[in-house]
Amino acid sequence: MKFDHFKQWNPRLNIFFLAFGAMFVVLASGLAWRQLILRGEWKEKEDRQNLRRVIQPGPRGDILDRHGNILVGNRPRFSAVVYLRELREEFDQEYSKMLNAMREQHREANPDEPFRFDWQQLRWESRQRVLQRYTDQINVILGTDKEITLRDLQRHYWSKLLMPFPLMGDLEPEEYARLIEQLPLGSPIDIYTDTARDYPFGPTACHTLGYVVANPEGIKEDAIPGEDLKTFHYKSEVGKNGLEKAFDDQLQGTSGGEIWVVDRFQFQYDKPLVEIAAKQGNDVITSLDIDLQLAAEEAMGDKTGAAVALDVKTGEVLVLASKPGYNLNDFSPFIRQEAWNQAVEQGALYNRATQGLYAPGSTFKMITAIAAMRNGVLDQDETLECGTHYRVGNRLFPEHSHASFGEVDVRKAIQKSSNVYFYQVGLRAGIENIAAEAKRFGLAEPTGIEIPYEATRMIVPTPEWRKERDGGIWTLGDTANVSIGQGDLFVTPLQMAAFAASLARRETHTRVTLLHDPQQKPVDHGGEPLGLTDEQYRAIVEGMEAAAGPQGTARFAMVDGVQIAGKTGTAQVKRPSGKITLAWFLGFAPAENPQIAVAVVMEGLVPGDHYAGGKTAAPVARAIFETYFADKDLSDLLASQQ
Amino acid sequence: MALKRLSQFKPLVVLLVFLAAWWVMPVMVKRWLQTGFYEFQAPLSAAESHLEDLQSYWTLRGQSKREMIEAGRDLARENARLTVQLQDNRSLAAEISRLETLLDLPSHPDFRYEVARVARRDLSAWWQQITIRKGANYGIPVGAAVIYKGGVVGRVREVHATTSIVELVSSSGFRMAANVVGEDRPVTYQGLLNPPFSNPLGEVLNVPAAVKVSPSQPMRLVSSRLGGIFPEGLTIGEVVELTPGSDGFFQQGRVQLNPDLGALREVAVVIPIGDETTPAVERPPATQEAVRGD
Repeated sequence: MKFDHFKQWNPRLNIFFLAFGAMFVVLASGLAWRQLILRGEWKEKEDRQNLRRVIQPGPRGDILDRHGNILVGNRPRFSAVVYLRELREEFDQEYSKMLNAMREQHREANPDEPFRFDWQQLRWESRQRVLQRYTDQINVILGTDKEITLRDLQRHYWSKLLMPFPLMGDLEPEEYARLIEQLPLGSPIDIYTDTARDYPFGPTACHTLGYVVANPEGIKEDAIPGEDLKTFHYKSEVGKNGLEKAFDDQLQGTSGGEIWVVDRFQFQYDKPLVEIAAKQGNDVITSLDIDLQLAAEEAMGDKTGAAVALDVKTGEVLVLASKPGYNLNDFSPFIRQEAWNQAVEQGALYNRATQGLYAPGSTFKMITAIAAMRNGVLDQDETLECGTHYRVGNRLFPEHSHASFGEVDVRKAIQKSSNVYFYQVGLRAGIENIAAEAKRFGLAEPTGIEIPYEATRMIVPTPEWRKERDGGIWTLGDTANVSIGQGDLFVTPLQMAAFAASLARRETHTRVTLLHDPQQKPVDHGGEPLGLTDEQYRAIVEGMEAAAGPQGTARFAMVDGVQIAGKTGTAQVKRPSGKITLAWFLGFAPAENPQIAVAVVMEGLVPGDHYAGGKTAAPVARAIFETYFADKDLSDLLASQQ
Repeated sequence: MALKRLSQFKPLVVLLVFLAAWWVMPVMVKRWLQTGFYEFQAPLSAAESHLEDLQSYWTLRGQSKREMIEAGRDLARENARLTVQLQDNRSLAAEISRLETLLDLPSHPDFRYEVARVARRDLSAWWQQITIRKGANYGIPVGAAVIYKGGVVGRVREVHATTSIVELVSSSGFRMAANVVGEDRPVTYQGLLNPPFSNPLGEVLNVPAAVKVSPSQPMRLVSSRLGGIFPEGLTIGEVVELTPGSDGFFQQGRVQLNPDLGALREVAVVIPIGDETTPAVERPPATQEAVRGD
């Protein structure tokens, strides 16, 4: 009876039910909102908080010469490292040990004062001490005295925690082997391997091959998911010069990476959630011939200059040498300051073959002759009287060596390199025609070779150019100077080599390339026919053959069994230190069926250097020709000539 | 009654007391006791091994004269071959020495060899370790290389008075520098966990991508002298498989070891002359107490 009031429904309770019902609905809706609607957002936040990405660059591809020799490859680079996550327990133990020791010390020294300490500093020191202990193990095995600095440790902790901490970097193979054998297998010290650029031929072709530097833009991450995750990068490299820069896209490997779950201390645990392997980049097969390149550079010795050799038919660059150079291995895995300073001091960073602008000297005389012949002012059999001087206006222009060659035709003029002959021929042709001819051979524009920083400010002077430059007036004396390849005429050795190849093919343009086409498909060089009759062309080539014969100025380029068509040049240019000499050689071989074209320039450094085209540049050309024809069957060459 | 019930637990109490005493005993005493026990036991292993030798001697005694004559003839042939080889080696050593003097090269480290019989091989650690019948009494150092006619056996892990324990090349705790034949770049060889009587396997790491192998065209893996412990060119095994690593440049793969390792009777310990104490690095001691996570 007394519980009857429970059986009677009190309408006032409805309010409570309603209120509780509403609250429950709100809670349930809130829960549903967060769990169902906002699920994606929470998941994303959780991932961002707990997941970390580590990106590793793929190794770069190799650079090969035309015969498949590796010019630039990768070498393994070993480092002794520890993964800090594996040392956490030891860090804690060391911290505790150091803390106890400090406390004990304090108690003995100041028993009445409360013990205070900087726990953060102590934590860093304990970590440093543990790492130093492992480094000392390595020091004992290798006989080194490496020390871990607090700065290195902190930097690593803050920016590369998920990556291995390097205790000893860039180990030599012997050091690597000793560590492998003498460190216990359970040791937290790991041997980490990555790659560094390797240059088997050291300084050879350094300007052409180029070098790499740390990539300021970081690694390409396209293939690795999780763009919005906190990401750690291993160092990547980018081509800075030469072929390394020109073909960087092709050489770059495909990045690999891992996605890790990290704990609240930001250390990774368990296995990576995602693991994508890196892939090596593609190889670049260059047109260079390492044997020819080595021969050229050896012949150049310690002198300053450049040498270029081209395949006449394809325009492929066989040799692209510039001296002085630098050892590429000193630039890998990073540029050593000492090596860099030395290279800068010697001007070794400058690629003289593609960037050096030089007066071509007497090697330009063929262009003067062609200009005169094409414009009908010179017959190939016509002779001119050549004394010791030639008067132009009030000025006497001398013959070289103050010689007098008497009656000279174009053959003899090229053979003896008669200045007086070409003063006369040049004045007959006129500067406009000479400049037009030089431009027709592409001497006023870059060749378009693939490697960067080719010179663009080459000069083929004309009266208009002079007027635009300083308002000066063009004189006949200027024409006489240009006729023998001096004055304001400036071209690169690569351009002159391209001219030699064009002349050898009886064309006006050669498309030079550093890429090798194994199929050797016919190449359209984009020029036009030379525009000389057979007799005119023969006269010029005969002159060049005679120059490279026993009585010619280019006789030091002679090679047994091969007829070379060559021309030397010795130009004088003004430098702040005084007049210096440029020694040139230009030619192709075999004369009747040209296969290789060569241009060499050697640069006197001080006014006293007695450089001459015949004595200084021709021997370099001979070294190239000799090596080129050494493994060729000369009977085949003779047969093809017939 | 209660006393009787308590006496039932006496063995358990004794065991617990012993364990507690062992637990609190200083590490040095424990180690001393362990070593003492091992040294006490060692002559038994050696005696067992000598008995086996005696057994095989009597087995040989039981062979017929004809068999003995054939064996003697084979042995004579082998001796003749080895004599010629020895002569070749001597002349090659002289030539190497001459070239080293001529080119002013540092000479290769010299080794002496200590031949030892295998005294014991436990079934539970068949591919992990063997015990040999020579120890500190023959100047064998910890870490010395151990080889046999088929190549690398392992390294000396522990040296006792008259015996030594050799960690086998097939043990998962073994690691050494090696070379794939024809490659001068060093690679890492490491043993694996091999069950008893299986074909022993190891793994090779850091192999450059240019090296290609297949099960039908395996490549020999040989020791490298760069580590300073093993002489150069001793066979470790054959690399039968390589897979690309995650870095895109190096490969890792399987090494098939010589099954003859399972039937070792005699080995040679390679002891560097002049430096007979190979440094062995201990893991740094860790203190017992741990505080909050780092």
